[in-house]
Amino acid sequence: MSVHLAESSSRSVTEIPSIRRDPIAQVVRLATRPVSVVWPRPTVDHWGRDQRLVEAIAPWANLRWDVSVGGEQLLPRGGALIIVNTRRFALTPISTAFALGESLHRPVRFVGRPDTVPFGPLLRRVGGLLAQPEEIAGALRDGQLVVLGAHGSANPRYAGAVDPQLVGAAIRENAPVHVAATLSTMVSRQARVEVVAALRSRKKRRGPLAEVELAEHAQRRLQDLLDELGGTRTGVPGLGWLGEG
Amino acid sequence: MKGRRVLVTGMGSELGSLVAAMLEAEPWVGELEGIDVDPPRRRLRKAVFHRIDANNRSHVVDVVSRFNPHVLIHIAVWEPDARVNTRHAVAFTQQAATSFLGAAAECPALEHIVLRSAASVYGRARGALTRPDESAPINPTTEFGRMAARLEVIANDVGQRAGVTVGALRLAPVLGPHVPSPLGRLLRLPVVPFSALADPPFAVLRDADAAQALVAAARVGLAEPVNVVAPEAITAWQAILRGRRLPLPLLGPEWALARRISHFVGAPVPDHVIELLHRGRLVDGGRALELLGVTPAQSTPEVIDRLYAWPSVVHVRPAIPAPWQQGLAS
Repeated sequence: MSVHLAESSSRSVTEIPSIRRDPIAQVVRLATRPVSVVWPRPTVDHWGRDQRLVEAIAPWANLRWDVSVGGEQLLPRGGALIIVNTRRFALTPISTAFALGESLHRPVRFVGRPDTVPFGPLLRRVGGLLAQPEEIAGALRDGQLVVLGAHGSANPRYAGAVDPQLVGAAIRENAPVHVAATLSTMVSRQARVEVVAALRSRKKRRGPLAEVELAEHAQRRLQDLLDELGGTRTGVPGLGWLGEG
Repeated sequence: MKGRRVLVTGMGSELGSLVAAMLEAEPWVGELEGIDVDPPRRRLRKAVFHRIDANNRSHVVDVVSRFNPHVLIHIAVWEPDARVNTRHAVAFTQQAATSFLGAAAECPALEHIVLRSAASVYGRARGALTRPDESAPINPTTEFGRMAARLEVIANDVGQRAGVTVGALRLAPVLGPHVPSPLGRLLRLPVVPFSALADPPFAVLRDADAAQALVAAARVGLAEPVNVVAPEAITAWQAILRGRRLPLPLLGPEWALARRISHFVGAPVPDHVIELLHRGRLVDGGRALELLGVTPAQSTPEVIDRLYAWPSVVHVRPAIPAPWQQGLAS
């Protein structure tokens, strides 16, 4: 009964635009009109990712990287953890999340934002999550795709170690774990992301060995993938090695 | 299940009145009574209201013992700077919790307690989860969060001693046309300050959705905490744009001055609203459907749009013009 009352009052509220009578509101409305026209109905999703901001950044990111994505059809519709190799000082998880998101037309999060201004809030707007198992578990439970970087390595063809604690979130949430090999160089625009089918553990473990073994398995699989892909070359005679990054 | 006796504390508040009105329509509710220091804000047909100060403990115990409720819905929680300042809000909430929950614990028929808590109980310390679910640790970082956490402790203690189940609803900031809310007041100012460096996302909840969740918790006998929050999120900057207000970007030290000015113009900003504007407030409300069987009907952007659709003053034209107006009408 009360709900009807509330709804009917809200209807009458929208029918009486108070803004017409309020001169201050009119001035404010005029002052903010240019901004409102450019960005009229903005929102962020329930994890704080701003799709419009991501779309605004994408062309600039595409100027730097030309990413080709393979194997994205192997990812499930629900939540999954995607482990990628990371070159030291590179933004591999972010660029991979952007590339996969563009390819799949759905938001893809990445792990590793700080919780301090101004970078923390900015990275949250583009899909960043804290590097905490509970945070990753929450995102997986919510059906999100989450990109997790392995530890950075100096050599782009070497897969670093994978944090077992963070991988453990996927085991607890019963979410599939994929690995994706990424190849990029500091001098070229060309980059590649190759996703493979979900990892399967041969042994069923009940204790903490499950995450340790899964993390090691992911690192080995990543290394195999990187070996299969081979290195990138610049194509310039005598300077091909520069492509190795 | 039919013929249950339900006691609503804080029935005089907007949320309490809304809950009481919804309970009157529930078939499982036999008798409905309420206690508060203020009278209800709606016309209630079945409910019996007792206007009692929580300090008057003997009177509270008399009334509650005589009614002997099966279900207690405790809504007597004062959000700081909503109706009273933080100091009074803490004192009134504590008094109400001790008095009402204590009196209910003496009732032999009591089976279940539903508690209005807040999402602020999770706090927003550095490194806190972006979207905590019900299993996340309670670590309040504001006075309102600490109030809600203390309330949950008191209710759980009463529940253990009396052998009854306790269900706490951790509500996101509740906004509605008549709900006194410091966040709602701040966002409706002509010029609204926001954190230029962070501008984090937050989620809110419509008053009717909050009331529906409280009623559902009483109906199903919720026995654990649950987050209730509207889907989607919004940032202060985005809310200001939607409301066509003038955004005032602030970096840090000038917030103290902004709070004083805001207080002066009638919109005091308590610490939990400051935290919301600086650190955001999102919670995982995914279990609400599973535990309560209901989910909020309006999304956060829709609640914010309704916030800006409320008229400041409603001018109602008389059906029959006054004698001095008749000449104008013709």
